Amino acid sequence: MLKAIIVDDEQHCINRLEGLLQEEGHDIEVMARCKTIDEAKRKITDLSPDIIFLDVELGNNTGFDLLSQLDDFDFEVIFTTSFDNYALKAFKFSALDYLLKPIDKNDLVNALQKLREQKNLKETSKKIDILFHNFKEGSESSKRIAIPTVDGFAMLDTNDIIRLQSDVNYTHIHSITNKRITASKTLKHFEGILENHTFFRVHKSHLINLSFVEHYIKGKGGHIVLTDGSKIEVAIRRKEELMKKLNPGLQS
Amino acid sequence: MPLCHGQLLYVWLFNITVVIFTLSVNHGTTAYEWFKWFKFGVHQPQKMLQPIKKNCFSILIILLPLCGNSQEVALDSLKNELDGHTLQDTLRAGLLIEMAGAMTYSNPNEAFPNVEEAIAISEKTNWIKGEALAHRQKGNLHYVLGDNLNALDAYQKALVLSQKMSNKQLESSLLGNIGNIHADLKEYDKALANYRAYLSTAQSLNNRPDEIKALSNIAIVYNDTENFEEGVSYLEKALALAKLEENNLFIAAITNNLALAYKKLGQNKNALIRYQEAANLAQQIGNKYIEASALNSIGKINVLLKNYDLAETNARKALALSKEIGAVEWESDSWEVLSQVYEHNGNMAEALDAYKEHVQLRDSVLNEEKRSELTRKEMQFQMERQQAVAQEEIKRQELVKNGYLFGAILLALVSIIGYFLYKRRRDALEKGRVAEFNALVAETELKALRSQMNPHFIFNSLNSISDFISKKDIQQADDYLVKFSKLTRSILENSEKKWITLEEDLELMKLYMQLEALRLENKLDYHISVDESIELDNTLVPPLIFQPFIENSIWHGIAPKQGSGQIDLLIKKDGNMLKYIVEDNGVGRLSTNTYVKKKGSFGMKIASNRIDIINHLKNTNGSINLLDKTEGLRVEIRLPLELQF
Repeated sequence: MLKAIIVDDEQHCINRLEGLLQEEGHDIEVMARCKTIDEAKRKITDLSPDIIFLDVELGNNTGFDLLSQLDDFDFEVIFTTSFDNYALKAFKFSALDYLLKPIDKNDLVNALQKLREQKNLKETSKKIDILFHNFKEGSESSKRIAIPTVDGFAMLDTNDIIRLQSDVNYTHIHSITNKRITASKTLKHFEGILENHTFFRVHKSHLINLSFVEHYIKGKGGHIVLTDGSKIEVAIRRKEELMKKLNPGLQS
Repeated sequence: MPLCHGQLLYVWLFNITVVIFTLSVNHGTTAYEWFKWFKFGVHQPQKMLQPIKKNCFSILIILLPLCGNSQEVALDSLKNELDGHTLQDTLRAGLLIEMAGAMTYSNPNEAFPNVEEAIAISEKTNWIKGEALAHRQKGNLHYVLGDNLNALDAYQKALVLSQKMSNKQLESSLLGNIGNIHADLKEYDKALANYRAYLSTAQSLNNRPDEIKALSNIAIVYNDTENFEEGVSYLEKALALAKLEENNLFIAAITNNLALAYKKLGQNKNALIRYQEAANLAQQIGNKYIEASALNSIGKINVLLKNYDLAETNARKALALSKEIGAVEWESDSWEVLSQVYEHNGNMAEALDAYKEHVQLRDSVLNEEKRSELTRKEMQFQMERQQAVAQEEIKRQELVKNGYLFGAILLALVSIIGYFLYKRRRDALEKGRVAEFNALVAETELKALRSQMNPHFIFNSLNSISDFISKKDIQQADDYLVKFSKLTRSILENSEKKWITLEEDLELMKLYMQLEALRLENKLDYHISVDESIELDNTLVPPLIFQPFIENSIWHGIAPKQGSGQIDLLIKKDGNMLKYIVEDNGVGRLSTNTYVKKKGSFGMKIASNRIDIINHLKNTNGSINLLDKTEGLRVEIRLPLELQF
């Protein structure tokens, strides 16, 4: 039986989640329901829960404020949030689990199952570090990203990533530090996370960091040569947009 | 009969006229007969008093000698004055001109900087008279150096300036100077014209000495051109005036010239009388030049008249005078007369000696003459060449002018072409901008249309939830709501995008149909089939473009139908077009549902507009076709096949 605490400032949200957890098949006992950070801090210290369902928006504060005020935590966190693009991006970067409100029964089941399968507090701590980092920095240019691999997670600075190459349902990530990381996510997943940065999908199977472009070789679509020496084909349909990205001044 | 004459200079000194005579030497072709015209030259302020040799053989006689060192003194004092006055004003310009004048004969080459500076100062200070005087002095310098062309040029400049300021005196002197140069160059017409102008100005100024000079010089030109009657008439006029002036020098010189003219006319007696007068007067005023010349002439005429004694007496006198003043050609003339006299007297030895002397001296004179003739010819050649160069220059300028004209036309042409090219380009750019703007407008509209569609769908869904609640089916309501929130989230996410992948769009459609199936309590079945040749993750479609048609099929086809209905989504490739087919087996439009028949749904109209905009932007021919089946409706939507990569 897992001990859980729900932190949410809205009663109906607490009710709904508790209702879903009480359905048969979940060996989870909700120990406390907290509406403020202070209350949650006390309960966490008192009850040492295994899992916390944490709302991102807590009045004027956020769920992250709660976590940052805890010196050490030995529990899993599942964030709950309504539609918030910024927060969603942050979660995707950190690879932390999150549930969107109104919470879908099936999504909850999946999240809990994943939690049980790979319960690794150390990794959770790391992921939360990344989340904090990205929130604190706030800047779009420097972000850390947790990359799910076959055997765990790799943490990378987005600025260190040179290029990503798809390999069916996997993605090979080439960075300046590690030679190659194979992520258990599709290239499309990373494109979704990284597209607003300096990354650009030049080809169906290539996402490149434009900061590492050394030169462009003309051709039908042409090729991009990156600083690591790799020569990447550019899809014809991506050429025009790539040119715009490389030469923002050329846009009329 | 080629004629050559020397030239003479007039010297003005501090407004006192100093007349210098040169002997004009002419010779005939048949017999070497010598004529001596005493020609008057006009020159300007100078202190030069030494005889100078010009291009023609000439001897200058100084009639009014000035104290020898006065010029040196004057030059030095001028130099001092000039050094002490460095201010660039008219005073300095005047001093410079005076200085140059003082240097005319002693050092003409070094006087040029002075006149140039004087010209510059005068130009700067707008002192026209100074400028004119400086130019005239420059002309004098050139004239003295035998550079008639540059002298003429300078005189002409001075003349223009003097006319500009209506300085008749100056103008008059310049006309005389110019006339002399033309006469030297044997341009008699021009010389005559200038002398006449000189004469008329002198007359208008009542300047008798100038008038005399003008008349005399005109006469000499006539005589040179063998128009002796005219020559005599002018000389008589000059003589009358000279007598009025009581200027013995003028009288002597003119009388001598008159005598020569009479002689040329064959009036020997008349000539003899005149020569005698000239000789007497010359003796009276101590002008040995004229005296010697006149005496020789008397001798020659007496030889012709066979009065050999008289001839000898005069010739001997002339010889003595000639030797005294070192006038070689006069000496030669004397020897010639003497030789003829000795020959007649039968004194052959003496005749031969005299003849030898004559020939020897004559040859030396002739050599000198030839040399000067050569120089003159050379000068003429120089002038012709200069004229040719000037002609060439005119031609060149003409060419340059034409070149400029041609260039200007070409430039204009190029400009016009350039303008048209520019205009065309500008128009194209403008067109591009307009197109871009239109695109922007269209895009905005697209967004607006999409945002219009969303609320439409949202309210439909909310209506469904309300329906569940009213039926108290809590579980279904919750299910529906969660799905609805997921779909709404997806729609919101994708509403920012113009194009999404077909894969994503089909996910949305599935979610939508699931929702509708829930609402219709599983009365609805759906089936999606996509051509194998279509790459789901690489094909781009405008989000939710065929949702309104599905909606239409569900609401107006299947919902009113008894029993369950099915919707088939077929996606095919048709060349470079993508073909969606939404097919239902509902009641169709042929049933009693008049609303859709007439107007079509709001969503369908929007979809149709969106396709129109896509057609406009991509220049494609997407379309929507509604086909009524016996059972249900078939909608075919054609869109351009857009690939992501």
